[in-house]
Amino acid sequence: MTQQIQVQTDNDNAFDIRDFDLYYTDFHALKKINMQIPLNKVTAFIGPSGCGKSTLLRCFNRMNDLIEGVRIEGEIYHHNVEIHSKEVDVVQLRTDVGMVFQQPNPFPMSIYDNVAYGLRCQGVRDRKILDEVVETSLKQAALWDEVKDHLNRNATKLSGGQQQRLCIARAISLTPEVILMDEPTSALDPIATNKIEDLITELKDSYTIIIVTHSMNQAARVSDRTAFFLLGDMIEYDVTEKVFHNPEDKRTEDYISGKFG
Amino acid sequence: MTTEQQNKSKTLIRERSAKRRSLYKSVDRTMQFIFRLCGLIAALMIILIVFFVAARGVQVFLPGYENPVSLGEFLTGMRWRSDQGVYGVFFIVINTIITAFFAGLIAFPLSVLSALMIVKIAPKRLSNVLTTVVELLAAIPSVVYGVFASGAITDIVEKMAGWFNYTTYGGNSMLAVILLLAIMIYPTITSMAVVAIRAVPESHELGSLALGASRTQTNFKVVLASAKSGIFAGLILGLGRAFGEATAVSMVAGNAMKGPTWNPFDLTRTLTTTMLSGLHETVGVDYDVRFSVGIVLMIIILITNLTINALRKKMESGD
Repeated sequence: MTQQIQVQTDNDNAFDIRDFDLYYTDFHALKKINMQIPLNKVTAFIGPSGCGKSTLLRCFNRMNDLIEGVRIEGEIYHHNVEIHSKEVDVVQLRTDVGMVFQQPNPFPMSIYDNVAYGLRCQGVRDRKILDEVVETSLKQAALWDEVKDHLNRNATKLSGGQQQRLCIARAISLTPEVILMDEPTSALDPIATNKIEDLITELKDSYTIIIVTHSMNQAARVSDRTAFFLLGDMIEYDVTEKVFHNPEDKRTEDYISGKFG
Repeated sequence: MTTEQQNKSKTLIRERSAKRRSLYKSVDRTMQFIFRLCGLIAALMIILIVFFVAARGVQVFLPGYENPVSLGEFLTGMRWRSDQGVYGVFFIVINTIITAFFAGLIAFPLSVLSALMIVKIAPKRLSNVLTTVVELLAAIPSVVYGVFASGAITDIVEKMAGWFNYTTYGGNSMLAVILLLAIMIYPTITSMAVVAIRAVPESHELGSLALGASRTQTNFKVVLASAKSGIFAGLILGLGRAFGEATAVSMVAGNAMKGPTWNPFDLTRTLTTTMLSGLHETVGVDYDVRFSVGIVLMIIILITNLTINALRKKMESGD
C-alpha cells in the first residue's frame, strides 16, 4: 500500500487490523484477520492452543520481530500509523503498548528497580520522578500496601501473584495506552487470579487491555469484547455477552460449551 | 480382561516384586556405601594436603628446628635472600596480590564482554567458533603459556619499557607476569560467564525488550544482572588460577630478592615462584620454608574466595 492512500480509522480504536496474515516460515499462523480493538475496553482473545491468539497479541508490540522466520502481510494501524512501517520506532511503540507475560518475570533486582527499569531505560534519572512513578504504579497495580515498607527487597522473593502484579506495575510505569496480557493468570492460584481480574476491571478506565486467556470464565468475567480464534482464522468477534450467550457460529458455540478445546 | 485374569496377573506381580524388593534393598545399600566413600575420599584429600603442608611449614618456626626462622620476620619481612638465610614473605604477598588483581582487572571485563558476544550477539556459526577457541585456550598447558610469555610477551614489555626510558631484565617483569596471567585466566572466566549467561531465562530478556529497552540495555542491565552469580564464580576460579599459577609465572617473573615491586617494569616475585624455583637443588630450611609459603598462599586464596562470595551476596540481596 502506498503512502498516498488516505487511511481512515475510527479514533475510538486502539488498533485497526486489516487483512493481516502471518507466517512462521511456511506455517500460516494468522489468516486474513480484520478487526478493530476499541480504546479503554477489555478485549479477550480465546481459542484452543495453536489458534494464533498469542501470535496476534505479540504483533501489537512487535515482539514477533524477535522470532526468526516470521513474515507478515497486511496492516495493523495504531492511531493512523501502520506499526510495521519504517517511521515507527519499535522502542517508542513498546513504551506505548506494554505487555504482561504468562509467567511472572520480575528481574532479579529490587522491587523499586523493577518498576523504575522502563523509565531508566528511557533516560530518566531524577530520583523524585522515579520515586513518584514507582509509588503510583504500584498503587495502581494494587501492590503498594504490601511492599511499600521493603521496596529494596529482591522482587524474586515475592509470591507468584505479587510478582505478576509487579509486572503489571512495571508495564504501567511507562503510562502506556495499551496493555497486552498473555494468559496473565495461568500460572497463578485462584485467589491471586481473582486479584488480577479485579485489577483488570479497575485498569480499563485508564488503559486499553487486550487479554489472551484459556479460561472461558475469565473472558466472560473481565472482557467487554471477545474474539474467538481457530486454526489462524478469526471465527467470531463481538460484544462478550453476545459471543457467550448467542454466538453466530456453530464452532464458537461448541468451543464455549466445551465440546472441544 | 476378566476378573480372573486380573487376579492372576496381580498375584504374579506380587510374587515377583517380593523377590525383587530384597535385591533392590541390597543394591541401594551398596550404592549408598559407595557414595559415602566418595564423599569421604574427597574430604580426606583436602584434609591430608592441608595437614601435610601445614605440619611441614610450621616446623621451621619451632624452637626445636635446626635453623629456626622467626615467624615475625617471616610475616613482615621485605627481603628473601636464601643465600643469607633471610626469609621475609610480606613483600611477596603484596606482589602476588598486585599481579593477580591487575590480571583480573584486565581479564574480567574482557571475559564478560566476550561471553556476551558469544551468547547474545555473534551469529550462530561465529559463536560456535569462538566457543571452541575459548575452550582451546583453556586447555593449553601452562608451560606452553610460559614459553610464549618468555618468548613474546617479554619482547613487547621490553619495547614498552623503552618508550618510558626504562630498561628491563630482558623483559622479565611484573608487567609481563600480569599480562601472562590475564591471558591465562581469560578463558577460565569467559567459559564460566558463557555458561552463566546461557542460563539466563529468556523471559527476563523479553520482559526487558517489551518495556522498550534496547538490546544493549537489556544485555547489560538484565542479562548480566541475572548471570551475576555464575560470573562471580568464574572470577573466583580465574583469580584462583592467577594466584596459583607457578610454572609459567616463574618463566617471566625474574624472582626479585626484595620488594614489594611497584614499578611494572621491575622484577617481581610471587608466592608460587618462590615455592617453585630451585626446589630440587636445595635442602634444609630453604626447602622446608616453601611449605610455609604454601600455607600463606592457601590462606590468601581462602580469603579471596570469602571476600568475593560476600560481595556477591551483598549484590544479590538487592540492597
